[in-house]
Amino acid sequence: MNKIRACLIFVFLFRTVVLQAQVNERISDSFVNIPLEEFFNRLEKKISYKFYYNAKELKTLYLSLEVKDLTLPHVLEEAFKATDLHFAIDKQSKSVYITSKFPIETELPAGFFKRIDSLALQKNQLNDSVAEFDVESKKVSKAIAGKLYEIGSKTNQAGRNAILTGYVRNAKTGEPLVNASVFTDNQHGTITDQYGHYSLTLPAGNHTLNIQHIGMKDTKMQLVVYSEGKLDIDVDEQVQLLREVIVSSNKISNIKNVQMGMERLAIANIKNIPSVFGEADVLRVITSLPGVKTVGEASTGFNVRGGSADQNLILFNDATIYNPSHFFGLFSAFNPEVIKDIELYKSSIPANYGGRLSSVLDITSREGNKKNLTGSAGIGVVTSRVHLEGPIIKDKTSFIFGARTTYANWLLNLLPDAYKDSKASFQDIDFSLSHQIDSNNSLYFSGYFSRDKFSLESDTTYGYSNRNLNIKWRHNFTNKFRGILIVGYDQYLYDVSSIQNKVNAFKLGFDIGQFNMKANFDYYINTQHALNFGISAIRYTLHPGYLDPYSKESAVRPDDVEAEQGLESGLFFTHRYTPSAKLSFSTGIRYSMFNFLGPQEVSQYVPGIPVTDANRIGTINYDKGEFIKTYHGPEIRFSVRYAFTTTFSIKAGLNTMRQYVHLLSNTTIIAPTDIWKLSDPNIKPQYGEQASLGFYKNLKSNTIETSVEVYYKRIKDFLDYKPGASLLLNHNIETEVINTKGKAYGIELLIKKPVGKLNGWISYTYSRILLRAYDSTQGVTVNKGNFYPANYDKPHDVTLTGNFRVNHRFSISLNTTYSTGRPITLPIASYYYAGSQRVLYSDRNAHRIPDYFRMDFSMNIEGNHKLTHITHNSWTIGVYNLLGRKNPYSVYFISENGLVKGYKVSIFGSIIPFINFNIRF
Amino acid sequence: MKAKITAALLVFSFLSCKEPYIPPNGSLEKPLLVVEANLEPAGTTSITLSRTTNLNDPAVIRTENNATVTVEGKDNTLFTLSSRGNGTYAGNLNLALNNEYRLRIKNAGKEYLSDWVKTIFNPPLDSISWKEEADGIHISVNTNDPTNTTKYFRWDYNETWEIRSRYFSELIYVNGALRQRVLPAEDVSVCWKYSPSTEIFLANSARLQSGIISQVPIAFIPRGDEKLFVRYSIVTKQYAMEKDAYNFFEIMKKNTEDIGSFFGPLPSELKGNVHCVTNPDEPVIGFVTSSSVTQKRIFINSSEVSNWSSYFYCEEVLVRNHPDSITQAVNLGWIPIHYSLFPDNKYIFTTPYCGDCISRGGANVRPAYW
Repeated sequence: MNKIRACLIFVFLFRTVVLQAQVNERISDSFVNIPLEEFFNRLEKKISYKFYYNAKELKTLYLSLEVKDLTLPHVLEEAFKATDLHFAIDKQSKSVYITSKFPIETELPAGFFKRIDSLALQKNQLNDSVAEFDVESKKVSKAIAGKLYEIGSKTNQAGRNAILTGYVRNAKTGEPLVNASVFTDNQHGTITDQYGHYSLTLPAGNHTLNIQHIGMKDTKMQLVVYSEGKLDIDVDEQVQLLREVIVSSNKISNIKNVQMGMERLAIANIKNIPSVFGEADVLRVITSLPGVKTVGEASTGFNVRGGSADQNLILFNDATIYNPSHFFGLFSAFNPEVIKDIELYKSSIPANYGGRLSSVLDITSREGNKKNLTGSAGIGVVTSRVHLEGPIIKDKTSFIFGARTTYANWLLNLLPDAYKDSKASFQDIDFSLSHQIDSNNSLYFSGYFSRDKFSLESDTTYGYSNRNLNIKWRHNFTNKFRGILIVGYDQYLYDVSSIQNKVNAFKLGFDIGQFNMKANFDYYINTQHALNFGISAIRYTLHPGYLDPYSKESAVRPDDVEAEQGLESGLFFTHRYTPSAKLSFSTGIRYSMFNFLGPQEVSQYVPGIPVTDANRIGTINYDKGEFIKTYHGPEIRFSVRYAFTTTFSIKAGLNTMRQYVHLLSNTTIIAPTDIWKLSDPNIKPQYGEQASLGFYKNLKSNTIETSVEVYYKRIKDFLDYKPGASLLLNHNIETEVINTKGKAYGIELLIKKPVGKLNGWISYTYSRILLRAYDSTQGVTVNKGNFYPANYDKPHDVTLTGNFRVNHRFSISLNTTYSTGRPITLPIASYYYAGSQRVLYSDRNAHRIPDYFRMDFSMNIEGNHKLTHITHNSWTIGVYNLLGRKNPYSVYFISENGLVKGYKVSIFGSIIPFINFNIRF
Repeated sequence: MKAKITAALLVFSFLSCKEPYIPPNGSLEKPLLVVEANLEPAGTTSITLSRTTNLNDPAVIRTENNATVTVEGKDNTLFTLSSRGNGTYAGNLNLALNNEYRLRIKNAGKEYLSDWVKTIFNPPLDSISWKEEADGIHISVNTNDPTNTTKYFRWDYNETWEIRSRYFSELIYVNGALRQRVLPAEDVSVCWKYSPSTEIFLANSARLQSGIISQVPIAFIPRGDEKLFVRYSIVTKQYAMEKDAYNFFEIMKKNTEDIGSFFGPLPSELKGNVHCVTNPDEPVIGFVTSSSVTQKRIFINSSEVSNWSSYFYCEEVLVRNHPDSITQAVNLGWIPIHYSLFPDNKYIFTTPYCGDCISRGGANVRPAYW
């Protein structure tokens, strides 16, 4: 209380002193990080005033200040802003008294007694403007922006650096803000983790702490840091107000992060990008980033830096999603209403992730609103969605629930006649609970379910489903040490059934299930050293396929490919070392191990000659739980960053990865009948290594980010298929596959303007991915053992994504994509056989389909913003494929009535306009 | 509670679209040899030799007529097939079941040789069944190997159907004048049309407990098609083969018939069992098999199907009995059917479709089995 009173008096005094003292001398100077003593000395030389202070008390305080044409009181006001230093100017003695805590009264102000009222007013304002935080008390108050905060205890001034930790939350909903930037300047900054937690090391002294997050107001807080402490920050939502847009020049930049090849997008950005049916689609946005490609519109997978679609680890709230799309890839499997943001790691993959060669796509859903029950519902022509969120225990426990369904049958009727009798439907459900036990313990529960069912041009029905469930416990041991424990179960399955012909009626299916566990710890030792370490384990059970007769009359012989079991475990350790503000290392190692487990009957083959049915010499039976085959090895995750200036840095990285599960597919895209396979004695794990180098330069006060990244990648034991391989219900899949070596390289250029009236990015990628079936002992070579481009090799790729805000109620977005056509195997000659003209194909992937070019456009029109209005409307009007270009998705040749005909198929062969009307109340 | 209701309206013309595509000309240096052969153990074996053509060339078969073709047995038997023109080589073989044979072809200084192939048992074709559905007639083949030894089958077929002209044409225009037709040689009121299969039909019993293969769809007659205006017949030939030959046909079928559906597989390398001995790098297309050929024929009468409309519109014109008028009518594409005294001595002409079944692609010779 003393302190508050002191301040009150000071404020009062200060005002009056300024009013009374006729200090007319103007000061202009620049002070860069100088001790306060020197600051006073320099002032004394400029003006005739003498400074009085306790030198011992001010010893540790430094100051940076630039003043121009200011009077002494203004200079001092500026210098002491947000400190507890006070000054008093006695113009008679030409003295300045500097005190901490208590100001000195030099004279009684005039009109003192008349100002009681205004003082009372000020008192009210000031009462809650200063708060004190003490780490010992463990009591953390919610911080409010624009006021002064003292961190740590003043008595403890042992170190020059202090660690500040806490949560950043949405002030309205209590939901944690993920990836919010928390920084004081380019040298001292961090981002919040997926739970909204941050940990920032700051030198003792005064700071302006900035908090930035997409869709939230930029928040500045005045801090005095003494020693380590906690500070939870509530940030207000950005309201679309009709006022000047503030462009902050202090964004935490790509320059600083040691991580390279990482892209992060919040749902707010994703929603700005025009999408095919007007519904935000995370996977489609991913493919507009440099280094990420897709083989076509109706394709589930995406390819990162020459990786195949199964080499991406797709996580939704830490659960592995095996098939991330609905409806042949036209929709992603994630409900945009519940998604918070996505992160894609394509180069430096942190050591705590493993199991896939190319990339990690981490999709996080929002935590439910902790204050109020809210929701949204959407009705579309193709899909409908609903979402509901709210507190269960206010400020402690919340839930979020989302569901989507479709009625796309009518859409299929627009397809070519062959698909006329087709049916398709899908659903997905997300559910998450979060519970804050206390400030150091939180529990999270999350579940996901998706289901697709369709029949195309036949009586055969296909269906597939993702099912995921996990529980996370997050515990802060100390301010510097925290851990997360995740336990979950993920499942993916598909089934195919045909019932029309009773004699052949069958049911066919596949499923993969994984129990997984991960313990992940973060330990911030000090500003220079931070550690991340932990263990993870995945226990797989996989049914490669079963075929059952559907009815008693059916003559189908039941066929069940023996289930596979495996255990994938990993031990990871990362050391982040920042010897100086310029230099930073991240040295990670992951030791991964895979055990192929019994029971299993394993075929043995004559070594050194092709693995074929003819060369099988017998089988060995293994008992339940027996270790049949173990693969293991270290994976290196190293990256280094050197910042030449605050706006220019170079980063380099070296990554090695191992992948123990394989997607078996001999179609171009992920088809619903593709199956996964564990590595076993006859199928080796895939191995990949990548070296990358990046240059990052920010321009115009960090409002424009530019980067150049180059990479070279080698892949070993990637699976390709023997001609005409039959993968379904194959008991000896090893006889149908060939091991290939791959090499991929590329350069990625990106110019990004993340903020401002005009924002967006332009990216250009040149990349190649070449494969080679090198092992002649496999019996089959492709293209005579030479390198051939993979199906998704598309060398040139240019993307422009832009959003222009004309005014606060009207913005336009444009999305343009160009890429080289993907390789295909073209017919080179024709011949007659079995009564028909037929075609002879070239070497594998020796030709390309025509180039791809598409432009999309959308307009967002916001309705009236008056706060008194009950409803707020907005319109999104757009056109997908503005130019109506018929981009070939594939080219194929068929024998029709005895003649060869070539066709090219475009999925979206015309202009597709869409309109969305949103109403909020 | 705050709620947000999103109503999305969507308008679009159509989704997917298919357009013809003309590929750049292939870069095949020399045409490759194409061998289509099934060695029948008894009776006449007929094989076809041809060459590949450039894709953008007109669709004609480039036959290979000057080759020397022999069949060699592992038991040192030797048979010769002689050229019958049109790329066909035929001869009578006498092969033993389960013995192995190979085909040797010499042509233009090059020698081609097939792998050894085993002559395998081909069970009788069980039946051809058909079913009438709303869209038309679905014809399927059924087979059954009681011994369950032969598991892989291929079929092809030939269709025959009778067509009738609406009007009986008594007259024919020859050398600038009309005269009576000579019957039956010049009869154009009843014809038979033929059509071979152009697809590869395959099925196997490898996944079935018994050797019964049921309801493999082969042919389809869309409702209202002229094939069932009167009477229709289909003869189906069955070939038996081993797994590797079946794979060859399956890849060929996938490469040329199944590509392009949403989940259509990628084209794969087609590897036959014929090789060029003189130049091992030169690919040869074809897979030599050896089995007897079993076959079955069925007939379907239009009376057996319901609601098969055979109506087509016919026009008649009356032409004055004057050479100029007749010539003009003929030049305009009309054909004469009848001379009518009433009402006023004029010729009745009609369209070729209504009066002349040969103009509809038929032949007026009754097949032996009809």
